[in-house]
Amino acid sequence: MAANPLPAKAVLSSNHAKGFSHPIWAARADRLQSATGVLLGLFLIMHLHFESSILFGKEVFYQVAQFLEGGIFSETGHGFPILTQIFSAFMLLIVLVHAVFALRRFPTQIGQWRALRQQMQFLPHEDTKIWFWQMISGFLLFFLVPVHLFAMMTNPEIGPHLSAERVVHHNAWMLYVLLLPAVTVHAIFGLYRVSIKWGLTTQRFALLKLAKVLLAYLMVLGVASLVAYIIIGRSLSLPVVPFVPGL
Amino acid sequence: MSQARQLTFSIFRYDPQDPNDKPQMVRYVITETPGMTVFIALNKIRETQDPSLQFDFVCRAGICGSCAMVINGKPTLACRTLTANFPSAEIKLMPLPGFELIGDLSVNTGKFMRELAERLQLWLHPNDTDMDIHRIEAPMAPEEAAKLYELERCVECGVCVSACATKQMRDTFVGAVGLMKIARFELDSRDSRTSDDFYHVIGNQDGVFGCMTLLGCQDACPKNLPHMQQIAYLRRKMTLSVTNL
Repeated sequence: MAANPLPAKAVLSSNHAKGFSHPIWAARADRLQSATGVLLGLFLIMHLHFESSILFGKEVFYQVAQFLEGGIFSETGHGFPILTQIFSAFMLLIVLVHAVFALRRFPTQIGQWRALRQQMQFLPHEDTKIWFWQMISGFLLFFLVPVHLFAMMTNPEIGPHLSAERVVHHNAWMLYVLLLPAVTVHAIFGLYRVSIKWGLTTQRFALLKLAKVLLAYLMVLGVASLVAYIIIGRSLSLPVVPFVPGL
Repeated sequence: MSQARQLTFSIFRYDPQDPNDKPQMVRYVITETPGMTVFIALNKIRETQDPSLQFDFVCRAGICGSCAMVINGKPTLACRTLTANFPSAEIKLMPLPGFELIGDLSVNTGKFMRELAERLQLWLHPNDTDMDIHRIEAPMAPEEAAKLYELERCVECGVCVSACATKQMRDTFVGAVGLMKIARFELDSRDSRTSDDFYHVIGNQDGVFGCMTLLGCQDACPKNLPHMQQIAYLRRKMTLSVTNL
């Protein structure tokens, strides 16, 4: 007995495995999924706040957009729309990395799906339900987020009139009506889960309550902004003339 | 004093050994007594109404972990559940999902726990391979002992396994009980296994990185073990250890 107390290492060692099959990728995948998720979640919170500046008027939104496009560095003060394109491409890359690693979590077989549904019916449990909706919203975001990002890459003009034109006359409101609830639910509960998952806090129920309040606030903010763009968009006559401050 | 309530138990009945038997829910009505637990009620039903009813128990005090079952949609210990907690007087009992059914409410958690222990090597791998019964054991710091005892409180009832949707979806996932026990040996200074050794056992999709933090284990554990913190601890520990792989 005493002669062989530790067979584990020799038998189970798989150091020779190469590439993604190397055991190191189990940890890396978990870390990358969480890191990209946090990045996307925090970005979303900022994104919704920036765009909601339209609620303070066209002038405010114009200034915010010009500032973020690097207006202070351009001679005309109008900024560089290419920044939006580059940033959208970068976000698409982050979304792809996040999606690749999050895919591990999806029930890929019908049996797994049935087991999940049966479990949720048989033993109702709040956090399981939250995860389920995160998975569903994640699946929807596979399709919705690339559409949004491609639109921003091919047509990066942002401004009170140009954005409103996109929302109303290019029918982007249809996308945003689906994207807004899916992305806020996914991001806010994702940020909640990632804090619990890595043990950043033990105040789980306080955090969950905070997440729900934040979710409600972001939904109100997002819907109000969308309504504002729709109202502006409907008041514009075609062809749309870009907003000029001070007029 | 108000009149004693009549409790209606809906109990899952099925004998997998009998090829002619079909799963069904059977109703039993008994009179509630003060301080009655589901476990006491089950004994009463078996004594007075149906001697063929199968369920497990040993200690009746939440220590043996034998009487775990699903009570009104919540997996927990029957001996620690007061019937007074159910205002409707309707109590539905089902066997724990995810385990081999022995019959009615009895499931084979023992077989599962043994396989898990063998797979994860859930026993002490001593630092010192030179066993000398005459030598005095090295003392352990009280703080360390307290940490280990906290995790040793696990009674292997199987509730965390049943409450985990991840485990139900992926049969090979080790579940909270396995991770809890790994954490217990990881904290033990007498154990010779390093983080790398543990990584080879739980550093994968069936181990700590398969956990999706659904927290069924945390919310259902009848011993209130700190599953959430323990799994987060292992996750951090295992992520840091990969640099040495």
